[in-house]
Amino acid sequence: MKTFEFFDLDVRKENQYKFRKIKLLISSLLLIMSFTIIGYRTISLANINKEKILNISYTTTENKSFQKNLRGNIYDRNNKILATTISTLSLNINPQEILNKYQTITKLTKIFPYLKEEDLFKKLNSNKKHINLLREISPREYVSLLNAGIEGLKIEKANKRIYPNNTLASHILGATDIDGKGIAGVEKKFDSQLQVGKDVTLSIHGGIQHITRELLLDQIKKFKAEGGAGIIMNAKNGELFSIISLPDYNANNYNSILNENLFNKATKGIYELGSTLKLITAAIAFESNLINENDVFDVSKPLKISSRIINDFKPLDYAINIPEVIVHSSNIGSAKIAEKFGSSTQLKYLRSLGLLNMLSLEIPELGKPQVIRDKKVLSTMTISYGHGISITPMHLASATATIVNSGVKVNPTLIKGKEEEKNEVIISKETSIKMKSIMRLVVSNKNGTAKKAEASGYLIGGKTGTAEKINPSGGYFKKKNIVAFTGAFPMNDPQFIITIMIDNPKGQKFSFGYRTAGWVVAPVVKKLVTRVAPILGVKPQLESSPNFSNNLLDFKIRGKNDGANL
Amino acid sequence: MIRYPSSFIFFVILFVGFSLYQIKHFITKKEIELTQIQNNIKSAKSDINILKAELTYLKRPDRIEKIALNKLGLREVLLTDIWNLEDLVDVTNTISNGEKK
Repeated sequence: MKTFEFFDLDVRKENQYKFRKIKLLISSLLLIMSFTIIGYRTISLANINKEKILNISYTTTENKSFQKNLRGNIYDRNNKILATTISTLSLNINPQEILNKYQTITKLTKIFPYLKEEDLFKKLNSNKKHINLLREISPREYVSLLNAGIEGLKIEKANKRIYPNNTLASHILGATDIDGKGIAGVEKKFDSQLQVGKDVTLSIHGGIQHITRELLLDQIKKFKAEGGAGIIMNAKNGELFSIISLPDYNANNYNSILNENLFNKATKGIYELGSTLKLITAAIAFESNLINENDVFDVSKPLKISSRIINDFKPLDYAINIPEVIVHSSNIGSAKIAEKFGSSTQLKYLRSLGLLNMLSLEIPELGKPQVIRDKKVLSTMTISYGHGISITPMHLASATATIVNSGVKVNPTLIKGKEEEKNEVIISKETSIKMKSIMRLVVSNKNGTAKKAEASGYLIGGKTGTAEKINPSGGYFKKKNIVAFTGAFPMNDPQFIITIMIDNPKGQKFSFGYRTAGWVVAPVVKKLVTRVAPILGVKPQLESSPNFSNNLLDFKIRGKNDGANL
Repeated sequence: MIRYPSSFIFFVILFVGFSLYQIKHFITKKEIELTQIQNNIKSAKSDINILKAELTYLKRPDRIEKIALNKLGLREVLLTDIWNLEDLVDVTNTISNGEKK
């Protein structure tokens, strides 16, 4: 019987066993699931949410820009601040939370008299929930606001980049955009470093930068010039103590400045710097061993090459040697020297002196030289006295430093204490001594073009250059000059390079109408060296002192009427 | 019936979970404190920067120059103001030698 079978013990036992097995399986599954959920939840709870913590820890007065690292400072070589970041307060308002609009307007205009009532009325009646009233408020205004107890106000903290010295080194420092990202100058070049809060120490000397600027500005005003550039650099390691480009601007107002003022004439502007390039011509001549200091060149007649006639500003009626070519600044003599060593040698030395490429200075605003490279005799000749070659004043300073630094290449740098990777020798020590002797004569000799630069005791040496300004639409401006001086001091052991350029000076009554480098730039050099040398630790040397050592060669320079027979 | 090892494991897991949660809670608290300290440092740095900037503004070379020339009556250094000590020694020696003779 079936019913009987059901109550059969074996069958019941078998069923119970099956049932237990299913129960055990379900329980195990439930247990595994529970443990998995508990495990997951434990791990998720143990996980620390950084975002949440940051949100908790920042108070409501601080916005996202403040949450970032404070941008690093920029210091000058004496650890004086050139650029820093401070937190400012901005005033925002939620019009929906204002209960009495007229009362709020009255309170606000009392604290901020420069806010217009009509504007405030418009803003407070807006449907928006967040309106910026003022980008910056002073701590005093902030306290007044707190005391006034105005509802719906939101005061946010934000970072602001400031330049406490205003115009000082503005072209070098550059600027940051509204998000605090570097957009020009050192701010751009070192952006990644500054963004993470690291400071940058420049080689610039605040005091010397100011003196260079003041003296250059004064001369620009006197000669009604368009602008200028000034550089003072360590002659041994290339550290730049001052870089001036005029006109300049207040670095705190970068965004509201005309493009013209933002242009860096010292490092980006390329100019034909005229006879200053004769220094390089003379150095190449000595170095090529094709000409020596006793070889003479007839400069009594203008030199006709192709369709062009090369003249001298002050013609001489006798043959002159290399030192005299430089001291009298003879274009004809320079052209004849260049003709001897040729185009290939000239280009080789221009390249090795860095005059054909952009410099590796630590700012983005760098100019690329333009040089005629057709290798024609005429081009070689004109390049020898600075025509057909456009370089930045910084290029000229660098080349001058290499010439006086025993021929070891000097790369300009804005970083204090930067170590030079390799010592590249461009010209020999002997050539360097000859060049230093000639450069000194340009200033010390009565026939020298830079005699107005003589500051007794400091043994200044260098070379002037006056060139017609290039017309962007072709050719040259006949009545616009670029005047320049490049040199070093003290010439018996050059410590510092000084390079000055003035753009388009006008002849004045006191200069008898002259607007040449000898009249315009040389006096600035004298004043500048007299003022900065004591700061730079360069002691004046009395030539009568028994400790005085000249270290220079004695070249004889003949005047206009001391000619030898040809 | 739950066996002894199972209950032991269960309590160990419970204890570990609870400890982990406590540690997490502790770390969160410390992280908040750390962030707040970092904020305070940043605020202090910003305040220092303000002071430094104000000091730099007051010590601007153009301002110092004006004060030196107009208020203090100072003037630029001249060549004759600077003497090399060695030259002075030489001059003194020459004078004293001359006197002896």
